[in-house]
Amino acid sequence: MVLAGERVLRIRDVCKGYRRGPVLRGVSLDLRAGQLVGIVGENGSGKSTLLRILAGDLAADSGVVERVGVLGSCPQDSVLHQAFSVDQHLRFFQAAYGLDNLDRAFELLEQLHVSGYRNERVQALSGGTRQKLNLVLALMHDPQVLLLDEPYQGFDWETYLRFWDLAAALRDRGCAVLVVSHLAYDASRLDTLYRLQAGVLHETEQTGPEVVPV
Amino acid sequence: MTRWWPCFRTALRFALIEQARNRLALLIVVLFVPLWTTLAFTVVARTPLRFRIRAVGRTVVMDGNVLVQINGALQALSLVIAFMMFVATARSALFDQRLVRAGYPRSCLALAKCTALLLVAALVAGYTTAWMQLFWRPEQLLVLVAGMCTGALTYGGIGIVLAAVLRSELAGMFLAIMISSIDLVLQNPLINPDADSPVVRFLPAYGAVQTSVAAGGLQVVPTSCLLLGTGWAVGMAALGMAAFAVRTRTRTRTRTRTRTRTRTQRSRTAQATPTEIEQTVRVPGPAP
Repeated sequence: MVLAGERVLRIRDVCKGYRRGPVLRGVSLDLRAGQLVGIVGENGSGKSTLLRILAGDLAADSGVVERVGVLGSCPQDSVLHQAFSVDQHLRFFQAAYGLDNLDRAFELLEQLHVSGYRNERVQALSGGTRQKLNLVLALMHDPQVLLLDEPYQGFDWETYLRFWDLAAALRDRGCAVLVVSHLAYDASRLDTLYRLQAGVLHETEQTGPEVVPV
Repeated sequence: MTRWWPCFRTALRFALIEQARNRLALLIVVLFVPLWTTLAFTVVARTPLRFRIRAVGRTVVMDGNVLVQINGALQALSLVIAFMMFVATARSALFDQRLVRAGYPRSCLALAKCTALLLVAALVAGYTTAWMQLFWRPEQLLVLVAGMCTGALTYGGIGIVLAAVLRSELAGMFLAIMISSIDLVLQNPLINPDADSPVVRFLPAYGAVQTSVAAGGLQVVPTSCLLLGTGWAVGMAALGMAAFAVRTRTRTRTRTRTRTRTRTQRSRTAQATPTEIEQTVRVPGPAP
C-alpha cells in the first residue's frame, strides 16, 4: 500500500536523444502520492518522450526512473482497436489488469458520459468519445501512479471541466497524477507545474487560473 | 496458470471476432475462391499434364484443368489468408502493445493469434476443397484439405511477418502478392511440369503444392511434403511471434518488492501483474 505523501516516482538525470540531437538533457522529478503535477512544453520539447520512458515504452540513454505502485498510462493518441466495441475493450483490459469486476470502469464511463456508447464499435465513435475511452482504460484499475499525455485532446468544454474534477478526485484518493500538455489551462488546479525547456524541467511560478505560456 | 486460461480464452475470442469483422477478406473468400476455382476448371484445357511428386518419386498424369485448379486454389487461399493475417496484425499492433504493458500475458496473445490462424486456415482450406469437389473427386480428400491448410498457414505466417516489418497495408499486400506469384507460378504444372529446379524445393508453398497434387491423383500419403509444409507454416508463425515479442517488449528492468496490500487491492487482482511491481530503470551512462 502506498502511504499518503510517499514518493511514488523518482526520476533522476534522465537523458534521451534521437538522431537529430538530444531531447532530454538530465530530467529530474519527484512525484508523491496525492500530488497532481503538470508538465508543459512547446511541441517537440520532449514531453511525450519523457512520458514514454516513464511508462516503459522507450529506453532512456542514461538516468534513473524508479516507480512504486500500480501504473496507469493514457497515451496522447487513442490506442484502441477499431474492430471492438467499448464493452469489448473493457473486457480485454479487465483480463489485462486482472480485475474481478468492471464497477469502476462503468462508474468512469458514467462520469464521462460514455455509458450510452457501450455497444458501439470504436470506428463509429467520435474523436472525443474515443479519447474518453482511452482515458477510462488508463483509470479503470485504480492506478497509484497515473501518466496522462494531452488527456483532454478533443474534449468539449463540459468534458474538459469533468476531466479536472476527475483528476482532483483521483488526487484525493491518493493517486499521483502527472499531466503533460503543450498548454496548461487552469494551472491553479495543479499542485506543481513544470516547464520542459531545452530538455530540462523548470518549476514555474503559478500566479492564477490563466494559461501558462510556453 | 489460473489467470492464463481465462486470458487465453478472451484473447482467442477477440482474435476470431477481429477476423470476422474483416468484411473485405470474408467477401474475397466467399466470392473469389469459387470464382477462381470455377474459372480454372472451365477455362483451362483438359489436356493431360505430367506432374512430378518428388516425395514419392512418381509422376502423375492428370487433366490440365484439375492441376491448374489445385495451383490456383492454393494461390487464392494463400493471398486471402496472408491479407487477413497482415491486416489483423498491423491494425492491432499498438493495441497489443498497450495490453501487454497493462499486464496481459504476452504468451496468451501470441498463442491466441496462432490458434485463430489455425482455425481460419482450416476453415478456408475446407471451404476451398469443398468447391473443388464439385468438379472432380480427389483420391485422398483429407490429405488435400491438409495440403491446402499448410499452404494457408504458411502464407498466414508470412502475413504476420510482413506486418511486423511494414506499416502500409498496400505495401504488405503488394509484397504478399509478389511472393505468392513467384512461388506458385514457378510451380504451375503448365509452366514447370517437372518442378525439377533445386530452387523450387525452397519455395514456401512447395510442400503444399506437392501434397495437394499427390492427394488429387495418388493413393500414397506424401508424408515428407506434409512435414515440409508444416515446417514452413510453423517457421513463419514462429518468426511472426518473435516479431510480436520484440514489438511488445517493455523497456524496463523490473524487480518485485514485497509489501502489504490492502484487502481491496488483493481481491481486485487475481495475481501480480507487471504493473503491480516496482519498476526500476537503471541505465548506465554518464550524467550530463
